[in-house]
Order: sequence, then structure tokens, then C-alpha cells
Amino acid sequence: MLDFSALDGAYGILTSSWSAWLWLVPGLIIGLVFGAMPGISITMAMAIFLPITLYMDFLPAIVFLTSIYTGAGFGGSVPAVLMNIPGTSSAVATTFDGYPMARSGRHNQALGVALASSVIGTLSSYVLLLFLIVPVSIIVLKLGPLEMFAIAVWGLLLLGSLSGSSVWRGLLAGVFGVLLGTIGMNTAGFIRGTMGVPWLLDGIPAIPAMMGLLAASQLLNLINTTYLIENEDDRKISFAKIIEGVKLTLKYPTIIFRGATIGVIVGAIPGVGSSISNLISYSETRRNAPDGDSFGSGNPKGVIAAESANSSSEGGAMATMLALGIPGGGATAILLAAFAMHNIIGGPQFIAQNRDIVYAIIFSNFAQAIMLLFVGLVFVYLAASIVRVPLRFLIPSVLVVSTFGSYAILGSLAGPITLFIFAILGWAMVRYDYPVAATVVGLLLGSLLEQNIIRTWQISRGDIGYLLERPGAIFILLVMVTSVTLTAVTKHRRKKALAAKDAAES
Amino acid sequence: MPTVGERQRRIAPQGKYRITPRSGGIHEQDTYTPYDTQDCIGRNCCIVCRTRHPARPERLSGAADFGCRPVQYGGYNDRLARAFAPFLQEAIGQPLTIVNRGGGGALLGHSYFMQQPDDGYTILCTSAAPYLPLNILTQDAPFKIEDFHMINLPSRDYTLMATSAESDIQSVEDVVSRLKADAGALSIGIQPASADLVNMMLFADANGIDRSGLRLVTYDGGGPARNATAGGVVDIGMVGGQGFIPLGEKVRPLLVFDDASRDGWTSPNVTELNGADAQYVAGSQRGWGVHASLLEKHPDRYQTILAAIESASKDEAAIASLKAQDLATDWVGPEASNKALAATAKVMTQHIDLLKGT
Repeated sequence: MLDFSALDGAYGILTSSWSAWLWLVPGLIIGLVFGAMPGISITMAMAIFLPITLYMDFLPAIVFLTSIYTGAGFGGSVPAVLMNIPGTSSAVATTFDGYPMARSGRHNQALGVALASSVIGTLSSYVLLLFLIVPVSIIVLKLGPLEMFAIAVWGLLLLGSLSGSSVWRGLLAGVFGVLLGTIGMNTAGFIRGTMGVPWLLDGIPAIPAMMGLLAASQLLNLINTTYLIENEDDRKISFAKIIEGVKLTLKYPTIIFRGATIGVIVGAIPGVGSSISNLISYSETRRNAPDGDSFGSGNPKGVIAAESANSSSEGGAMATMLALGIPGGGATAILLAAFAMHNIIGGPQFIAQNRDIVYAIIFSNFAQAIMLLFVGLVFVYLAASIVRVPLRFLIPSVLVVSTFGSYAILGSLAGPITLFIFAILGWAMVRYDYPVAATVVGLLLGSLLEQNIIRTWQISRGDIGYLLERPGAIFILLVMVTSVTLTAVTKHRRKKALAAKDAAES
Repeated sequence: MPTVGERQRRIAPQGKYRITPRSGGIHEQDTYTPYDTQDCIGRNCCIVCRTRHPARPERLSGAADFGCRPVQYGGYNDRLARAFAPFLQEAIGQPLTIVNRGGGGALLGHSYFMQQPDDGYTILCTSAAPYLPLNILTQDAPFKIEDFHMINLPSRDYTLMATSAESDIQSVEDVVSRLKADAGALSIGIQPASADLVNMMLFADANGIDRSGLRLVTYDGGGPARNATAGGVVDIGMVGGQGFIPLGEKVRPLLVFDDASRDGWTSPNVTELNGADAQYVAGSQRGWGVHASLLEKHPDRYQTILAAIESASKDEAAIASLKAQDLATDWVGPEASNKALAATAKVMTQHIDLLKGT
């Protein structure tokens, strides 16, 4: 519950130095620019600017770094929508409908929808955090491998949605992705499938592989096209249409709330976070939507689901960091380091002793989310110009930037080599009508599935009764089964009603 | 409740961490260019710092052990390098550039470092133990321990056996009695191919526990294993003790694998439980090193780097700044550092069978 004296303290901290707020907009802009560059991760952006904060006081340092975090969280969605490049693994589901929207001339609307969903998702997650930071942190620590396995399976349900024209091809592509995801050293110390290449010891580098599969393969298929949007009249950049996208988002509070809840809870799990939450949110929204069949061909609801979940994951990761001192990802590890520079050590005692600082950070994130709307509007307006660039310039430029980005991620040729191999693979899959997205989802979830099934086996020694000791896992599985069953029932009823209507008309 | 003013003074100590060049020090602009690696959760990373000597640019590189999921950035060595770099560059007389090289249990970072010219323009910051011996013993690394010369390894971690604060396990005697009765009675969170695993097996042997029956639950990094311990997902955890400090309230320490008490843990040491000659392996030994061949090729440059690391390690401002971040700065020196690394490598070689797959 809220601690009012701490709230007063937070207000005192936030108003103690107006100059600290001058760092908010530059932080957002840095985050947006870095996030929008394929392959440049949020972590990288924050790490580059961490040393600067050494010379700042506590409040400006934290405002600046968390603004970069917030900005970069949305920045990755811009290339996902405009070029099918998920700059981070958390923007994968954004490509599913965002890119088709852009290709059909609704790029302005898609960017507006993505921005509004991110802003509202971030705000919602911090509101939830304000009240639930302690329970969320307790839940996170109690999650065992069986619960994590159930969450990974939930993510895999998405494969059914990505099958395209043939379910079997979709499943095959998904299984192929899962197998790729298990390459490298597994959690028990065994090395598989590296072919003696040391770069593969940690598995296939996910981001270069995703960029290759989704973006490069797509661009190679566009070689005979002149513009990203074929119809010249649709190539306009319209501020009004971006605003229209923002307004459209407000019509779907249920999708946003579901995405934000999934984002906060899954985002709070160290090491899982936004890369899974956007997939689960997309999958659930698609299954529950009456027009679910139009997902994947440019339905704005898909963008709302993905973006509200991946941006709210930031709040979840912050909950784990603030309440437990556990960084859920690279970005929160940098924040912890920044805290340490200012003599503030994260950990379970931190939240008890410094609740005012925690509230101050949450409130500063409210301000960031609101400012993101305005800074983001200008940013997406400028970024939308990409659709007016002839593809003969755009394709080589994007390939070059992606290559640099993939090099930056690993600091070696392993990045560009991975990008190149997966671009060829992606092109071949598209050419022979296999859903590339299913392979990407499999790749992201493969190691998570395998690690946690191994640990479950190790803990339980294969005893099925272990399931009864884990009510959390039972709950997750029940929610999942209920969701799938309800969808099937609803679909069946809809079909029956449609058939009855057709029969009546004939 | 402190007043806002008091709180402000506490959370924003004015100027406390500003670095003011000493008279005669270097006044050049500090430059850092970190390169991110992938989010290699629970793995290791390498940090390279490049510095410009009067003649031409020099580099300083290192591998970082990330005991928590955000592995490449924010792990101990990454934080150590970034926190120490301002003081080191002041002492060495030129700016440093930090580069991270992660992956493959520090193998990629160590290999990268060895590929750099041995001309004193590259310095390494790494978890020399256990990762150098592990790379060599289990990964066919293209280098030997003798190829590295550690100048200072101030951070000496140790294995801590711990359980959740809510657990019914009260002491290490509880653990011993339960495991003696049934070696699989407790689940043990641990990293495969680690010093902690060697310690677990030595502990089992010393206390008459059947090591083949142990119920090991393997984690990719110290962080996840600690979280599982604190959350009661596993019955006990065997992980590096320093990383447990932030979770101190959530865990109950059971046994420290060292011959003296560490970090205020109230549990006994392994030497108290199993006698003064109890066998155990030291945990991560982290710090700074160079190419061993540098000593013969460019002894003058080696002396420059040695003197700079020593003077920065003894700098009061550096000690205060790093201490505030829970980072080690003690000056141990090359002789003791290399001796400790060699001793760990020797014990790990004896237990090579444990390190290949769990």
C-alpha cells in the first residue's frame, strides 16, 4: 500500500532540483535514436552515457538514465513498423502487424498506434508498480523452472497464429527455431551443435539472427519494387493520421490493460522480460479478438497488444531491481551501477529504507511517459519519411546499418556473419512459403524451454507429483488452458451463428 | 524520517565522486567507448580499455564474470573496470577506452585479449579464476595460464552455501545429516563446471555424502542460482558469496568456503566444519592483467602499467569510490595474485572430471 510520508519525501526529492528535469528530454531523444538503430540495444545506449552520470547528482543521473531506458523502449518499434526490423527482441510482435500496416500505406497510423500504446503501457505499468511493487517482487523470487516452462509454452502458443497458409509448415518452422535456440552450452554444461565454433558457445546471437530472418529476407524480396509503399498517394507523411492512430488506440483499453498486466508480471522475471511478454500479449489478443484472422495482415490491435506489453515490461524490470536489487536485464544492471555510484545499494532493504526514492523514480517515469508522447510524435513524424525513400537507396542503407548494428552487438564478425546466414535462410523460407516469424519465436523461446525443462527434471527427479507442489505453475497452465478453450468455444459459436445466418438467407 | 534536506545530502553527496586531477596529473578529456555484447545472461564478458600513450593509442582489455542475468553489462568486472578506469587513467597519464568482449564463459574475451599485440597497449580486467583454468581445462582454449600475468587480483570471492531465510534448514549440520541419510534429499542450486561445484563435491567427500546421488540443479549464472536460493525454489544454493550480499535478508548462510569469516556472514567456515586441512577451491579472483610476454619484451612499459595500477589502487579517492560500490581495490600485487591463480588452477586440474558436464 501507499506510504504517504514517503510520497511527501518523493515530492521533496523531485522538486529539490528543477535542473534535473532538463535531462529528461535529451535522455528520451538519445533513447529514441539509439533504440531506432537496428542492433543498438537499450543496454548499449545506457552504458555509453553511464560515465557522464558519474559527474551528476543522484536525481539528474537517474532521470537521465531512465529517460534513455524509456525512449529506447519505444525507439525499437520504429524500424519494426517501417522496415520489419525488430531492433530488439521485445519488438518482434510489433512487426507482425506494424509492418503490413506500413506496406499498405497506413504507416502514419501504425506509428501513432505504437507510440500511444507505449505511452499508455508505460504509464499503466508504473501505476501498477506504485501499488504492487512488493507483491510483484515476492512472486518473482518464488517462480521456479516449472512456472518458467509454463510461461515459455504460453509463448509458443503463438506459433499457431503464425502458421500462414499451412499449419504444418508453421509448426515445422517453429520447431526449427526451437532447435536453433538450443544450440550452444546448455544449463547442465553440455555443448551441442556448435560445430566447434566458439562464437556459438552462448547460442546463436538472437538479434542478428532476427534481423536477418525478418528484415534482410524481406528487403531481398523487395528488390524489384520501387518504394516501400507502392501507391504514391499513400506515401504521404501526415501528422493528422499519426494523431488518428493515437486516438484509435484509446478505443481498446482492454487490450492495453491486458498487455500492461502481462508486461509487468512477465517483465519482472529476471532474464525473460519484454522479449516474451510482447509475444504472449499478441497471442492472447489475437485469440480473443473477433477479427483474429486479420491479425498478421495489418490489424492495429496487434500493434497495440505488442507495444503495450513490451513498454510495460520496463516497469516490471524496475520492480525487480528496486525491490530485490536483482537486475532483470542489461538496462537495469546499468541503473544499479548508477545507484551504486551514488552510494545507494539496491537490495531487499533498499525499498524499506528508501521508499521515497522508489516513489520518486516511479513519478519521474510518469513524467517521462507523458513527455514521450510529445517527443515521440516529432520523432515518428520525422522517421516516417523513410517510406518516401526509393528502395534502391533504402535497401542497401538498411543492410549496411543492420550489418554495423550486428557487429556492434557482438564486437566481432560473428554478428554480420550471423546476419548474412539468416538473411539467406529467411529469404529461402519466404520464397518457399514457410513463416519466418514462427522460426524467430522458436529461436527466442528455445533455450528458455530447454533450460527450464532440464531444471524441472533435476529438481523433481522426474516425479510428476512435483507439479502438485507448484500451485503457481498449475495456475499459469489453468489460465492458459481456459484461454485456449474459451477461444475455441467462441469461435465455434461464431461459426455456427454464421452458418445459421447463411442458411436463413438462402 | 529524515528531512528532505538531510536525505538530499545523503543521496546526492555533492562532489563526492568528482575526480579532480592531482597536481601534475593528466588534464585530458576522459573518453569511454563501451561496446555492448549480446545480453549474455549469466555468462562472462571481456572488457578492453584502450589508452593513449604518448607515442600512440594503447588498450586495456578484460573479461567480466557476470553473476546476474544482464551478463555483459553491469556484472562485477564491468562495474570494476568502469569505476576504476578514471583513477587508472589519471595514474597512467592517458585516457582509457573500455571495450567489452563477452561470451563462452569468458573464452571469447580471453582469446580476443591474446590476439592483441603484447606491446603494453592492452590491459585485461577479468575473473582470472575460475575462468582461465576452465577455458583451458574444458574448452580447448588456444592459450595457457602462463600466457597471462596478473598484476593485481583484489577481488577474492568464495563459495557460500546458503538457504532461503524461510527454510527449515537451520545450519550446515542439518544439511550434512539430511544428505548423509539420503544424498538426494535436498535440491542444490549450482553452476555447472564451476569452482562451486568442485567445492560441493569436496564437501560431500569430507562429510561422507554420496556425491553421485546429489540432486544438482544447474543454472547458467550465479544470479539466477542465488534468486532460486532466496525464493526457496531450490533447498540450498552453492554460489559466489559476494553476490549474495544484496540478498542478505532473504537468505540464511550455512557455510563459507574459506579459512576466515567473510563479509559478515554468521555461518561457520569450512575449516571449522571439516578441520584446518579441509580442501576447498577459492572462488572468482578478479582484477587486472597483461600478456606474460610483455615483461620480457617491454619491461619499461610493464613497469609503467604496474606502477599505475598500484598507485590507483592505493588512491584514497579510488578506494572511497569503489568501496561505495562494493568493489575491491586492495593492492595484492603480481606475486600474490599469480600465486593464488596458479593454486586454484592446480586444484581445478585435479578435479577436471567434475568440470566437464554435470
